[in-house]
Parts: sequence; C-alpha cells; structure tokens
Amino acid sequence: MTGFAREHLRPLMGSAGLHLLLIALIGSAALRWTTAQPPVQLAIEGVVVDARDLPKSVRSGKALRVPRPDPVKEARPPPAPVPDKEARESAEQEKARKDAVAAERRKQDQIEAQQKKRAADEAHRKAEAEQKKAAGEQARQQKDAQAKAAQDAKAKAALEADLKRRLAAEEEEGAAVAQSGVKDEYRALLVQAIERNWIRPPSARAGLACTLYVNQATGGTVIDVKLGPCNGDEAVRESIVNAVYRASPLPAPGDPRAFERRLEIVFKPTE
Amino acid sequence: MQISRGTGRPLLAQLLVLVAGLAAVAAPARAQLRLDITEGVNDAVPVAVVPFGGQAEGASTDIASVVAGDLRLSGRFAPLDRQDMVTRPTSGGEIRFEDWRLLKSDYIVVGRVDGGGTAVGFELFNVQTGQQLLAQRVPTAGQSLRAVAHHISDLVFERLTGIRGAFSTRIAYISVEGKPPAQRYRLVVADADGFNPRTVAESNDPLMSPAWSPDGQSLAYVSFETKASAIYVQRLATGERRRVSARAGINGAPEFSPDGTRLAITLSRDGNLDIYVLDLTTQALTRITSDEAIDTEAAWAPDGKTLYFTSDRAGNAQVYRVSLADTSNVQRVTYTNGYNARPRLSPDGAALALVTLDRGYRIALMDLKSRNLRMLTNGRQDESPSFAPNGAVIIYATQDRGPGSLAMVSSDGRYQERLSSDRGHVREPAWSPYPPR
Repeated sequence: MTGFAREHLRPLMGSAGLHLLLIALIGSAALRWTTAQPPVQLAIEGVVVDARDLPKSVRSGKALRVPRPDPVKEARPPPAPVPDKEARESAEQEKARKDAVAAERRKQDQIEAQQKKRAADEAHRKAEAEQKKAAGEQARQQKDAQAKAAQDAKAKAALEADLKRRLAAEEEEGAAVAQSGVKDEYRALLVQAIERNWIRPPSARAGLACTLYVNQATGGTVIDVKLGPCNGDEAVRESIVNAVYRASPLPAPGDPRAFERRLEIVFKPTE
Repeated sequence: MQISRGTGRPLLAQLLVLVAGLAAVAAPARAQLRLDITEGVNDAVPVAVVPFGGQAEGASTDIASVVAGDLRLSGRFAPLDRQDMVTRPTSGGEIRFEDWRLLKSDYIVVGRVDGGGTAVGFELFNVQTGQQLLAQRVPTAGQSLRAVAHHISDLVFERLTGIRGAFSTRIAYISVEGKPPAQRYRLVVADADGFNPRTVAESNDPLMSPAWSPDGQSLAYVSFETKASAIYVQRLATGERRRVSARAGINGAPEFSPDGTRLAITLSRDGNLDIYVLDLTTQALTRITSDEAIDTEAAWAPDGKTLYFTSDRAGNAQVYRVSLADTSNVQRVTYTNGYNARPRLSPDGAALALVTLDRGYRIALMDLKSRNLRMLTNGRQDESPSFAPNGAVIIYATQDRGPGSLAMVSSDGRYQERLSSDRGHVREPAWSPYPPR
C-alpha cells in the first residue's frame, strides 16, 4: 500500500486536486492506515497506508527491535535469622545454671547438717565423760531435735529447688510464645487486614514512608490512630488512617497471649 | 495530629487532642507490635453523594447525581447507590457517621440549594474519622446548576486526590450524520461529561482534526468546504474564524504549541506528507521533517521544544520524536507492536497515549522513561486519544460494529465508560484545557 500511495499520490496531486479528494473520499485506504473497511470519511492523518497491504518484505524485514533488558530479578535478602536457637540455648544455659546453684545449695546444707551432727556427737561424748550416768532421755531428745533441723533444712532446699525449676519452666514457656511464631502469625493477620483495606492512592509510590501509632481495645476495635512521620501527601495520609479504621475491629491473635494493644504501623509500598 | 472518630468537636477540644497527639508522637511508644504495610488495593474509593436538599425529586438538574457521575467517570471513586442510603442528611450536623461506616463509604458529600436557588452549599466529610474536609457556598450567579455541580466535583476531587479536577472542562469532537454522498459534518463542543453539545461549525464536506488553543478560547480544525483541505482557527465566543493554511495538496492535523503562538501541521506541498510548524503571527512556515515516508499527526511536548509524530519510515507506522532545535535528529520512540500512531503527550510530559495494534486497534499508554507500553482499552477500533488537562483520564473514539462513539478511560486503565453519543457517528475527540480559575 505504501507503493500504492507513493505511486498515485504524487501524479494525482500534480494533476487534479479535486480528483485526489474524490479518490481519497471514496477510495481505498484513505481513511486510516489501519482500516480494511471502506472509509466513510476522508481522514488526513490516516492517509494512505494500510500496514496489512505493505509488501511482506517491508513489513517483516524492517521492523526494528530494541533489545530489552530482562526484567531485573530482585535479589532477595536471605530471611532474617530467627533468634530461636540462640534464645533456646540461653534458656537452657539459664536452667543449667539454676540447677547448679540448687545443687550447690543442697550440698552446703548437707555439709552444714554434718557439721552440726559432728558437734552434737562431741557434746554427747563430753556429757558421757562428765556424767557417765547421763540421762539417755536427754541425749535422745537432743538427737531428735538435730535430726529434725537437718530434715527441715533438706525440705527447705528441695522446695527452693522446685520453685526455681518451675520459674525456669515458666520463663521458657514465655520465650516459647515469643519464638513459636504465634506473634508472627498475629502480625501477619493484622498486616493482611490492613492491606486489604488500604485503597492506595496513585500518589502512594515507592519511597513513601508513613508511620501510624494505633491503640486497639481487647476486642480489636481501633480506639485511636496517631499519624507519625510521613512523607506522603494529604490523599496518602487520609488513605492510611482510613485503612486502619476500615479494618476495625482488627483480627484477634490465635493465641491471646500474643495480643498487643499498641501497634506501630509503617506504610512503605513497594513498586 | 490525632485522628479519632467522632462528630464535630469544639475547637478547644480539638486543640487539646492535637497537643496530646503531638506529645504522643514526640514520646515514642513503649511495648508495641510493629507492622510493615507494603501493599494496598487498587479499588475506587467509596463515597456517598447524598441528594441535595432544596431540590425537588426529579429536578431537571440533580446536583448530587451530576457530582456522583463526575466522580465515577474519574475512575477513582465509586459512588454509593442512592437506594442504599438509609438517611438523606443535607448538612453535616445531620450525618450519623456510624450508618455510613456500615455502608462502607469512606467519604460523604451533603448539600442543599439555598436562598431560592442563588447558591449551593455543600460539605465533605471523612466518614471514618468524622472530620469535615470541605464546607463551601457556591453562588449560582448566572451559571447553570450543572456547571455548579461540576465545580463542586472539581473541589471534592482536588481535596481527596490532590489533583485538580477537570469536570468543568469541555470536549470538542466531529459528528457525522447521513450516508455518503449526502453527509453532514459537525464540529461540536460539549461539557466534559458529554452534556450540552453545541455545534460550532457545520459542513456538507468533511470536517476533521479539532485542536484546542491552550487558552481554551479557539479551535483549529480542517475543513474541506472549498473542496480542498484547509486549516482554520475559530474563536468560540464570537464564531469569527481565520483560514491559516490552504496550501496545495493536503493541509492537516493541526496542533497548537503550548504557548499558543504556533501550529504544528501536516502538509504535502513538497510531494509527500511532512511535518511543518506555522507561526500564527508571522505566517512563517518551518519544515520539520523531510523524509520520503509519510510523517503526520504531530503532538507537542509540554516544553514546546519537541514534537512527537507518526511515520512509516521503517515500513510501518511508528512514533518518532524530533527536537525543533535540531530537526536532523529524529529518534524512533515506539518498538512494541507493528503499529503505533497518533501520539499525544500527557500534561506532565511523562507518558504518551497512542493507538497501537494488538489484536485490535487499542489505546495504550507508554511511559517515556521506562518505554513500557500499557494497554488501556481492548476495543477493535479505538482511536484518537486525548488527555484531560489533569492527565487522569483519556477520551477516545471507539467503533465496534455500530457507529463511532466517545469513551473515556482512566489513565491507569482501571475504569472505562462509553459516553452516550447524541446522534450519528462521533469521532476525533479533543479535550479542552482548564478554564481560567
């Protein structure tokens, strides 16, 4: 069709403008470069070329291609190490330390008891020497009292050790809640709820960073939203505050111990 | 700044809250959970535009419905269906925000026609926080209620998006009635939503390629009324017009330079179609391209220093760019698809709207930095894209079996709507610049 245009346009213009007009009006591809349908009106911009009518060589041969770079694959940083192992280790160390302390205490108590027993024996021997006819009754009483004291000390030590064990166990459990992913799960629930409710305005582009401080009631109802540092425009600021209110009541955590009344929410869209 | 829910609060309370808020921000919170939000949804923002008070049901111009229509057409807002409105407040004090929260509206517009129709008052609220965002009285003073409604749309749109509204602008287009050889051509100017069409030129011979002057006062267009093509510039207010180019051969595709002093046009006076720039004051003509191929459909970059145009110099239609300072330096701009034509620059100069061939002739947007081409429409025969002056929406002509009609698509491609065409075959829309503020 380019050939058609070039061959016919020039002679026609040379000869008769009116004929050109009529040809253009009625004739072939004068309407658009594009339409195969008979044109209804003459369109200047369209004059003359229908790409489909081009010689095949022109169509395929000359089309240039700019090499386009592969979509850059974003190098993802390795996932942040979960401080799981470290924390468990430190908890274990702590427990071991406490056990050692308890054991040491027990040992000392025993030594003390032994020392006391030794002293009692001495006294007993002295009494025997002074009064060979010493009252066995008195000696027995004394002995009983000493035994009781030793027993008490032992029981006390055991109780203390037990308490310490239980404390350590509780601590370990608290750490377990923090580490077990319950918190991460809760965080994910909240993020999802807010992202679904954030109608992102066109002015919220990459590079945006806005912080909200949110207080929620136990049932997840949003009590207030405070705007922290934010480099977005008014539309952005309104949209993020509304996102949090729209998401109210916020989802509850799977484990109630993961609930957090205060949230710090940072909006930093990618792309 | 603290944003708590509630209805209007006294100033002192607001100040206290503000102070408390500042203190809270200054002192970083203690134990708290930190969340990172990296994604959002692309939905239109739900907004309720309540029927205005002081207007009878079925009034000829329903202000709220014009405002809702404008906001919907922008692609950025989803107005609430009127039948879903439980109450119909006409002022801020009457709004029960809980109701509108349940209806999932983020914003609400209420208003009424005051003082026997001399003014229209309206208020805009954030439903989530109860905060009043706008409260204005717009005097009707000689304007139609429709124009007042478009003005309200402009104010609401700008307050909520930060982008100037383009609802008070106009569109020009060509309508064709009848069948050849007895056809009637009209150059029409209408409101941006297609209402109030007004014929500004008429002919039994083709009219085409309307282009707005940057001041919105004049239109340049091509007419064949003398049986040969010629370019005219017509003042809309007076109807007075001037023939600016009637050279031998083809005179076509006029586009005003951003400063309004020059026209880029297509002429065939030197044998084939090339781009020229015509100085409207001195009549000086400067040839810009001189390739043997067809060069046409010039568009100005906003800086007035570069022209984008269509050329088949590579064997098929592609978009090229030429600097007016160095016309020997012509660069090819489009490579995706075998056909790219009719470029138009976005008002910020960052993107190009064009017609591309991808299963059909569709409107696409090309980011000039990344060179990415993004399909906006999926018609078979879409053509002549033209940007709204705020760049948010593109109007174009579409033809799918039936006669051509006008359609709009938001420049993110999210929302599309066909404008009802008054009559005949409608083509070549051109969106006007902003009216003077």
